[in-house]
Amino acid sequence: MGSQDIEFNGGYEYCKGYKGLHVLQSHHQIRELQTILRDKNTSRSDFKFYADRLIRLVIEDSLNQLPFTDCNVVTPTGATYDGLKYKSGNCGVSIVRSGESMEQGLRDCCRSIRIGKILVESDADTHEAKVVYARFPEDIANRHVLLMYPIMSTGNTVSKAVNVLLEHGVKEECIILSNLFCTPQAVQTVLDVYPKMKILTSEVHPVAPNHFGQKYFGTD
Amino acid sequence: MTAKINTLDPPSSASSDSDIEIQTELSEVFPDADEIDEEKSGDFYQTPASPITVPYCPRPASTGSQKSPRSRRQRTTSINQTTQNKGVTESILRTPQRTIYTAGRPPWYNCEGQKVEPFVIGICGGSASGKTTVAQKIIESLGVPWVTLLSMDSFYKVLNEKQHDMAGRNEYNFDHPDAFDFDLLIATLQRLKEGRKVEVPVYNFVTHSREARTKTMYGANVIIFEGILTFHHPKVVEMLDMKIFVDTDADVRLARRLKRDISQRGRDLEGVLKQYTGMVQPSFNHYIAPLMSHADIIVPRGGENEVAIQLIVQHVQTQLQLRGLKLREELVAAYATNKQPRPDTVKLLPTTPQIRGLHTFIRNKDTPRDEFIFYSKRLIRLVIEYTLSLMTFVDKTVETPQGVLYNGKRMATNNICGVSILRAGETMEQAVCDVCKDIRIGKILIQTNLQTGEPELYYLRLPKDIKDFKVILMDATVATGAAAIMAIRVLLDHDVLESNILIVSLLMAESGVQSIAYAFPKVTIVTTAIDPEINGRFHVMPGIGNFGDRYFGTEPNC
Repeated sequence: MGSQDIEFNGGYEYCKGYKGLHVLQSHHQIRELQTILRDKNTSRSDFKFYADRLIRLVIEDSLNQLPFTDCNVVTPTGATYDGLKYKSGNCGVSIVRSGESMEQGLRDCCRSIRIGKILVESDADTHEAKVVYARFPEDIANRHVLLMYPIMSTGNTVSKAVNVLLEHGVKEECIILSNLFCTPQAVQTVLDVYPKMKILTSEVHPVAPNHFGQKYFGTD
Repeated sequence: MTAKINTLDPPSSASSDSDIEIQTELSEVFPDADEIDEEKSGDFYQTPASPITVPYCPRPASTGSQKSPRSRRQRTTSINQTTQNKGVTESILRTPQRTIYTAGRPPWYNCEGQKVEPFVIGICGGSASGKTTVAQKIIESLGVPWVTLLSMDSFYKVLNEKQHDMAGRNEYNFDHPDAFDFDLLIATLQRLKEGRKVEVPVYNFVTHSREARTKTMYGANVIIFEGILTFHHPKVVEMLDMKIFVDTDADVRLARRLKRDISQRGRDLEGVLKQYTGMVQPSFNHYIAPLMSHADIIVPRGGENEVAIQLIVQHVQTQLQLRGLKLREELVAAYATNKQPRPDTVKLLPTTPQIRGLHTFIRNKDTPRDEFIFYSKRLIRLVIEYTLSLMTFVDKTVETPQGVLYNGKRMATNNICGVSILRAGETMEQAVCDVCKDIRIGKILIQTNLQTGEPELYYLRLPKDIKDFKVILMDATVATGAAAIMAIRVLLDHDVLESNILIVSLLMAESGVQSIAYAFPKVTIVTTAIDPEINGRFHVMPGIGNFGDRYFGTEPNC
């Protein structure tokens, strides 16, 4: 995003073989947000405030991945502006619970977008992920899907969710994962199985801030 | 009226306080003096419709009825306030025929953003000679909306206890050069001449010390400096572009003082005369009268001398024309003649599909206001986030709940404040508050004068200590850059570092970008789109129309 301060991102380097991976161009200001979110001494109100800022940035960037067509409009001065128009037929899907933290960010950008939900529980012993609940817009098969899940450490949860979407007829290339933090391992896990989908994240780092959901919703 | 005549004679006199409320009593004793006063007040200041009546009478009513020698001094304090107010708060264009209350401060710098040196007029003359009357008549006739009137009264020295007692017995000589703090005076005048903001002391004549509060004044197109010893210090004389000596007959001056002191303060004739002959008169002869040799123009009879004042006004106007400018036109012309590559300080958001999509919505003339507001807010958020990324960051390592250290960053400074250029810039305030907790927001109102097409400064509220801050200066659109340049100039005049200013807007015209970058090479310019042209009405093409009107719903014919 920034023309200056573009920084080498270790995680990105590691995963750049994956065409489906897009990392927000890391500049110091995003790094500051990440630092605050990772700092264990950050207060909850600060945490939520800065998480929402980062979510907004990730969502705005995810929307860049959606399809659009050219569109010329006439400005109040009578001149023509060569603009573009997003195609309709998108929807959001949040993975309960932490994915719901990103819903507001999406709503702030797309006021009337449809939002589906998936609940994936992982077994405490086997870490096996299991879909418990899924509710989507009826015609989801024809839509582009913004899948929202902020922290991805193993990739199992997301893989399950993507699988459910595919079962509902969504095309693999129409799935975009909006994510804040993910590990290289998770990127591999997901993209090795679903190479045509896209992952959009702010950082790829070996250690994921797994406290995100608890701190954001205040259940720690 | 009283306030006006108040300013007529400065402090030189413990005695020369001036309130002509009770003229009638003495009019028989000093018919001549009374006539003069009446004429002065009647001509310009007594008419209720006169513009000056409003701004020139801010005196608290409480000071009006006191009669002790102490309150007399207090009176003089209010003179200070009055005179200073003229420069700062008055944005009133006064012409003999009509009053325009709306005029703001026009550009006081040229198209390169450099300040044009103001024209400084010094007015000198004995106590009660009518210096302030002359100053005010000049201001009226000039028709220049931004004039600063600085009075020497503000620079009396702080008295020690002994001197304070002497003053109480009317034995302290306020007419002597030693009574003034020339160092402070010179520094203040110098800063004003540079167009900077100054804090002028408010002298309290009861305690004979400076009050804690000060009056804020700005440099202006014309600065008038008046006082009994304005030509006394060679450094001051050097700074004056025009030196006027008001030469009023000693009899008239004495008569005025007698009338004021006796009729209004209940002092006895003997005491007034003793002070006059003991201090006022000798000081005049020793220090003031010889200053006449420095003068360019000597005005006999003071403010009633219309011919002299017209001559002075003509000369000043000629001088102002030589310095003045048609700023906005010049900016456009300057761009046309030298197209340069876009400077490094211009930071354009990467044109992603998102940005273009948002622009498509807000540029479309058929977009309903509801959507217009929604999509501009999204765009504003993006540009503000981008702006923050341009700040300086330092390394910071934090402990994570996962037990590993994380090498992160944090912003180098917490001193960030937002300043919006009203009205359209206000639309961006919310976004700044959304991304920076507890940020301070200043406001600057700059409006285009529909007659001249020039921007004018009307209103200014900035955080204290703004000089220590990084300033995010916000305006929704920048066409010629005239308003932005004025706003930047204001910030610089408040001692903000040029490199600490970021001008942020949604849409700029190429020429505006060039003008700002040319005028202020260290100011960072942030925008989401740069349009190539400006039309004849200084609108950006293809543009988004009048952003403020569309956002606030005040378009004509809607």
